Amino acid sequence: MYGTERSATGSNVSNKNFNEGKIMSSILEEIETKIERLKTSTTKSNVGVVRETGDGVARIEGLSDVMLNEMIEFPNGVFGLALNLEETEVGAILMGDNTLVEEGDEAKTTGKLLSVPVGKALLGRVVNTLGQPLDDKGPIKTETFYPLEKIAPGVIKRRSVNQPVQTGIMAIDAMIPIGRGQRELIIGDRATGKTTIAIDTIISQARLNKAAEDAKDNNYRPLYCIYVAVAQKNSNVARVLDTLEREGAMPYTTIISAPASDTATNQYLAPFAGAAMGEWFMDNGMDALIIYDDLSKHAVAYRQVSLVLKRPSGREAYPGDVFYLHSRLLERAARMSDEFGGGSLTALPIIETQAGDVSAYISTNVISITDGQIYLETDLFYQGVRPAISVGLSVSRVGSAAQIKAIKQVAGKVKLDLAQYRELAAFAQFGSDLDAATRARLDRGQRIVELFKQKQYNPIPVDEQVAVMWAMQNGYLDSVPVDRVKEYQLKLQDWLQTRKGGLLGAIREKKELDKDLESQLKAALDEFKTTNP
Amino acid sequence: MKINKEIRQLSREMLRASFTDGQLDPGRIVSLVDSLIAKKPRHYVDVLKNYRRLLRLELEKRQAKIETASEVDSATTSELVANLKKKYGGDLTTQFVVNPELLGGMRIRVGSDVWDGTVRNRLERLQQEL
Repeated sequence: MYGTERSATGSNVSNKNFNEGKIMSSILEEIETKIERLKTSTTKSNVGVVRETGDGVARIEGLSDVMLNEMIEFPNGVFGLALNLEETEVGAILMGDNTLVEEGDEAKTTGKLLSVPVGKALLGRVVNTLGQPLDDKGPIKTETFYPLEKIAPGVIKRRSVNQPVQTGIMAIDAMIPIGRGQRELIIGDRATGKTTIAIDTIISQARLNKAAEDAKDNNYRPLYCIYVAVAQKNSNVARVLDTLEREGAMPYTTIISAPASDTATNQYLAPFAGAAMGEWFMDNGMDALIIYDDLSKHAVAYRQVSLVLKRPSGREAYPGDVFYLHSRLLERAARMSDEFGGGSLTALPIIETQAGDVSAYISTNVISITDGQIYLETDLFYQGVRPAISVGLSVSRVGSAAQIKAIKQVAGKVKLDLAQYRELAAFAQFGSDLDAATRARLDRGQRIVELFKQKQYNPIPVDEQVAVMWAMQNGYLDSVPVDRVKEYQLKLQDWLQTRKGGLLGAIREKKELDKDLESQLKAALDEFKTTNP
Repeated sequence: MKINKEIRQLSREMLRASFTDGQLDPGRIVSLVDSLIAKKPRHYVDVLKNYRRLLRLELEKRQAKIETASEVDSATTSELVANLKKKYGGDLTTQFVVNPELLGGMRIRVGSDVWDGTVRNRLERLQQEL
């Protein structure tokens, strides 16, 4: 008995030894090949000496062969990026612990551009500017790296925007539609719900992606999201992460965080890292959405870097190329033509204004670069109109080409109606004698405003949007008191979901309201009216 | 030191005037410095400082620093110097330094170009790879 046991253990040990030996020998072989490679070569490199360092910047003498934007290696594993090439000196920004770099240190060129890991492995992760994980989910397994700075796709590779990004926010999908490959600016004062719009959009994409996955719908093109937090408070980033996790959006999302405590260098580079990650999806025929939250802080970080590099400053001490900084970043958002994979990268940059001033330097720059803006107003926000979208100042220059037909049918005149309502409402305050047409316009306007109020983190599917707006357009809401419109809408949505799933499905599939669907909608709404008087 | 445009231009002109037939001319350098001190233009001390720096960088470009782990015999030395002069021109000066920290091999630096064939460098690269 003992004997057999012993012999069994013995064979186990020898097996283990054999396996270990095999692994060891393969490791040894690997080291051997690495040594072989090293033996043969004497390395040639270009070096310089650090003359001055501080504020995350080093000035290096020498480095005669360095290229612009090339990575420079310092002792102790610190890397820098050559940004200023002067006659006898090179100005470099430092990444990592810049206290480890000292005067007199030798700096070496590497011949490499700064790159970040890209690919699907980044979905569900929180990373820093260099693509290193900040969550406790282990290393990121990816083989592919993309350079941070890349020339945007040219004219030949692009096509016009033709597919929608369903944000799930009714006011946006109806009036300021966003297409895949578009750059739509979200602009407004502090605390007006800019980030909320971005987060809502991410949640909406996640729900659509998940629904398509569950239904095994191969025609649906999932939209992956990248959220770049530039100079945000860590608590804000944590809150966003928490919301996205709670709503089940993280499996389709990457968060790049360069918080306020990070170096200006990392804050300046974070949006470019995000763009590189998004470009991978675009290059591989997939669709991605990137949110830069926010570019005003990004410009401030770049201003700091430029000033310590002693670049000449211009208006408001921003360097002369601050426009180019944002234009080259946003130009990387594109919709590729089918020959080049048909992928897309949609960009939603965010700009924070001071006291509603859209004519400040950075905001006018970004407004002119983007294909439209969603302008959020403090006054509306405090009146309870949330999302506080200002209809007059918000515009989407290309998105209507991407709207599905059903939305066009029901929302075609909404923007005009609302604009007229706002104008009339200002006059109507003073007098009570109004003709019937004006009265009707005001009533309709009030109801549209109510309809477009929406709770945060609660995107509405496009088919429900169509049904609700069809009801509004066809006068079903006219008999509902204004303060009960929201209640009516929620009840209607609920009722449609539970009772008329087939009808909603048909709208989703046909993407258009034909005679048949309209009569079905009419019947459904009449039925709803009788059940909910 | 804050260098303005004037200082930079003047010191650069002085450097340009310091060459005869593409080689630094000590006589001209001395006379340039003397005449500057005699004339005393604006910021002349800063100009001199910057000129000195530019000269230093220029000299570094023409000097080869050869570091070895142990003493090298004279035959190798002369072959090395001849080869370097062939590559960088006849006015190259050489400086030999023994540095046991390199463990073995040789490291040559001319200006900002470095050829590193030392054992220490290989070990460092191995460390990075692993």
